[in-house]
Amino acid sequence: MSNPWKEAEKRQPIVMRIIENSLLRDRVAHAYLLEGDPGTGKKETAMLFAKSLFCLEPEDEFMPCGACINCRRIEHGNHPDLHAIEPDGLSIKKEQIYYLQQEFIKTAVESVWKVYIVNQADKMTASAANSLLKFLEEPSANTVAFLLTEQSSRILPTILSRCQQLTFKPIDSDRLKQRLVEEEISIPMASLTSKLTNHLEEALEQSRDEWFALARSIVLKLYEGLKGGGLSAIVPLSEDFYSHFKEKQQVSLALDLFVLIHRDLLSIMTGEEHGLAFPDRLASFQQDALLLSAEKLADRMASILEAKRRLNSNMNQQLLMEQLLLKLQGGHAFV
Amino acid sequence: MKFSIQKDRLAAGIQDVLKAVSSRTTIPILTGIKIHASDEGITLTGSDSDISIESFIPSEEGEVLIATIEETGGVVLNARFFNEIVRKLPASTIEFETSSSFQTIIRSGHAEFSLNGQDADEYPHLPQIDDENVFKLPADLVKTLIRQTVFAVSTSETRPILTGVNWKIENGTLICTATDSHRLALRKTAAAGLPEGEYNVVIPGKSLTELSKILDDTNEPVEIVMTENQVLFRSKYVLFFSRLLDGNYPDTSRLIPDEHKTKIDLNTKEYLQAVDRASLLAREGRNNVIKMSSGDDGTVEISSNSPEIGKVTEQVNSLAAEGDELKISFSAKYMMDALKAIEGTEIEIQFTGAMRPFVIRPLHDDSTLQLILPVRTY
Repeated sequence: MSNPWKEAEKRQPIVMRIIENSLLRDRVAHAYLLEGDPGTGKKETAMLFAKSLFCLEPEDEFMPCGACINCRRIEHGNHPDLHAIEPDGLSIKKEQIYYLQQEFIKTAVESVWKVYIVNQADKMTASAANSLLKFLEEPSANTVAFLLTEQSSRILPTILSRCQQLTFKPIDSDRLKQRLVEEEISIPMASLTSKLTNHLEEALEQSRDEWFALARSIVLKLYEGLKGGGLSAIVPLSEDFYSHFKEKQQVSLALDLFVLIHRDLLSIMTGEEHGLAFPDRLASFQQDALLLSAEKLADRMASILEAKRRLNSNMNQQLLMEQLLLKLQGGHAFV
Repeated sequence: MKFSIQKDRLAAGIQDVLKAVSSRTTIPILTGIKIHASDEGITLTGSDSDISIESFIPSEEGEVLIATIEETGGVVLNARFFNEIVRKLPASTIEFETSSSFQTIIRSGHAEFSLNGQDADEYPHLPQIDDENVFKLPADLVKTLIRQTVFAVSTSETRPILTGVNWKIENGTLICTATDSHRLALRKTAAAGLPEGEYNVVIPGKSLTELSKILDDTNEPVEIVMTENQVLFRSKYVLFFSRLLDGNYPDTSRLIPDEHKTKIDLNTKEYLQAVDRASLLAREGRNNVIKMSSGDDGTVEISSNSPEIGKVTEQVNSLAAEGDELKISFSAKYMMDALKAIEGTEIEIQFTGAMRPFVIRPLHDDSTLQLILPVRTY
């Protein structure tokens, strides 16, 4: 079995170097903010770090062995001094942070370290973030926090300033695409999934997912329909859309696909035809690009991103999509 | 692991440890009970990571054979199912057998259950007891210590350290202190068996409440071990572990006034009942506030006034009164809690002024002390 630490080192040399040094010199900070695109291995890294702290027989004094009882328990989520928090539904609630606080006013169960991992820390509600801040401000000894986020700009600046930031570099999407093609994924699919995630396993899974293939074609059809003029063209298409994208996450993915289409258009406009997410649509996109100004394109992208933001704040999904489609089709005059 | 055991003893052991098992936990293995078979007997463990309870069932007690161990080992089984299954099994003996994949077969009479288990090694490791730092106190004394202090712990989370009771051992005396910053309960004991060394731990109030439910009202000794992370109480077959609170307990010794301007001795029961009556009307008002004033003729007047409901006054005869005249207001609830915690039929209350904390002690007894902060009224 390959050493997971070495694997991580290959993917994120700088981050792993920082961690290695802080472990070796015994200068572990009390809070880390792990920031990076999906699939860059933030969670794996936080787990590896935690294992290093708890491991009974670390190799070279910092690499977790992965075999001792502590490493195994962390792997299975059974270590009593490691607490992982995931968003409960849409956000991380105050009660979850309260639970952490309860846990951390007490002494550790077994070892000296107490570790907590907050996944998707940007999803904390305002009151949760402020509660967390309270105990980032007064860290007790031997407590280590890992906050994981995809967008560090959505973390409270007061929290940000109390964490050591570890920025995960995005993996080169071209390389990922090549790996995918080697795994016998078709080029159009590989181009798209390599743009959506940085994680090989995830990309592979997505590429082989039938739902995703259908999602791709529905979004493309909808885009074509938008060009086609009248509202009547959109109505049947959007019905397909609603029946296919039901969950919030699915709608979010659809919006991502829309963004990628427009990104491709922008690339084509600037003469950069390499590395498109939809290379098979090059010819048709080239046509479209001729009809668009850069300004208009930027407006459209802004409205898609705005829609994505609103999606997270609990807006009715159908209304949201309708508003977006109208905006995309007719510009601001319509809405 | 392979053994057979008497059903009623196992069921009783499960009832003990089940108190520590919480259904809502983020750590999956804590939903289970750990069963460990050694040559001496069976150990059951339940935990919610704050408190852990271990119950030991010896393989034989006196001449009676309770369990037969054929193969040692351990497994973790889901607490809810395990408990229900054991209670409803038909025969009076139960056989257990665990395969290498933690699948456990439970056989009794003609019934056979096969339950998926988890690795016992993954269960939280409880501190090993090292016999050097053990000291012993009678169970009923431990229960009294808890009862007389734990009610005063803070329930608010703003100062988490105050949600615990401070146990401090110095010069062979154990001092238990609890405060929520409006009142303070203190109990000292110099019982035989306390160690010479110094210990200072803060035990969560909730853990102590649980502990006093488990302990019997006998004077059997309880062995106590304080480690860095946990405190352990061991009675005959049950071990109770609790995590400690992290941080330094505030120095409370300076809060307790050492002089007084007014001293009143009262009969505990009469006074408690008078306060209770006065609180009937006070309850509707703010903070349960009642007034107390001392007269020259040695009586004490207790009154409460809620304009929208009515008012109450009552004279209580004091046993002795000395010092300045006094008018003071305080929370009836705090006073009743304090009076209930005090042992002794007579108490003395020492005041240093209407705005200063006052001290309640049993007459001629220094071991218990209750301190209450008065309420400012206009």
